[in-house]
Amino acid sequence: MDNKAINDIEAASPSVVKQAARNFASTLAETPEFKSFEQVAERFRQDQAAQQAMEAYKEKQMTWRALMILNALSPEQRTELEILKSAFVNQPVVEEYFKARTELAALCQTLGDALSESIGLNYAAACGVSCCG
Amino acid sequence: MLTTLSPQLREATQSFIDNLLASEAFMHYQEARKLMSEDEEAHTLMERLNNAQATVRQQQSTGGVGQAEVDSLRLIQQRALRNPVILDYAQARQEAVEFLREINGEISQLLGIDFASFANHATC
Repeated sequence: MDNKAINDIEAASPSVVKQAARNFASTLAETPEFKSFEQVAERFRQDQAAQQAMEAYKEKQMTWRALMILNALSPEQRTELEILKSAFVNQPVVEEYFKARTELAALCQTLGDALSESIGLNYAAACGVSCCG
Repeated sequence: MLTTLSPQLREATQSFIDNLLASEAFMHYQEARKLMSEDEEAHTLMERLNNAQATVRQQQSTGGVGQAEVDSLRLIQQRALRNPVILDYAQARQEAVEFLREINGEISQLLGIDFASFANHATC
């Protein structure tokens, strides 16, 4: 279809599409899943113990990144990393955060699937998201 | 798919989809897809291209890419790039993808999260 033919059908302008997208986002922001995620994410940001546990785990991951990629961590290093990971993910607020995130992701995936099916493109992949996020 | 959603979210999603499909980028993309599926030569060429790519990728993963397979892939690529239906489809798809990224940016800015990342089915 050439551009003239498209114009004859009166395409929706980008500003109209963006407004519909913003309405969609506003409605999503009102869902219990989104509100719950926002609340727990804020508590997670404010929880010093959880933040410190996360930093300790991330720092060690960064330090041993190359060894992890090569799958060359020693048993002691593996154990140390596991202990730091457990200390992080077992924080009550972190457990709540992951639960809320999973629930919001399930809703977003349902919406993404509906979008993908209708528009003939994989929404997440088209937006540059790989399988690892 | 939308039956598990609240009526408000279902309605907002449908309105978003309708507007997206009515955009110039997606109208062009849908038409190019239709032409592609109806054009036997383009359809066959794309099938051959996908098969040739799969063969070379498979050989790459096992460490032995054959020159004949690479030559065959290049030949099919050249033929595909000369096909107006395929060229139009490729251009239309790229425009639709770029527009979709812009729209996702709009959604994500309002939500404070990358909507596409949350919508992704992580498989690894």
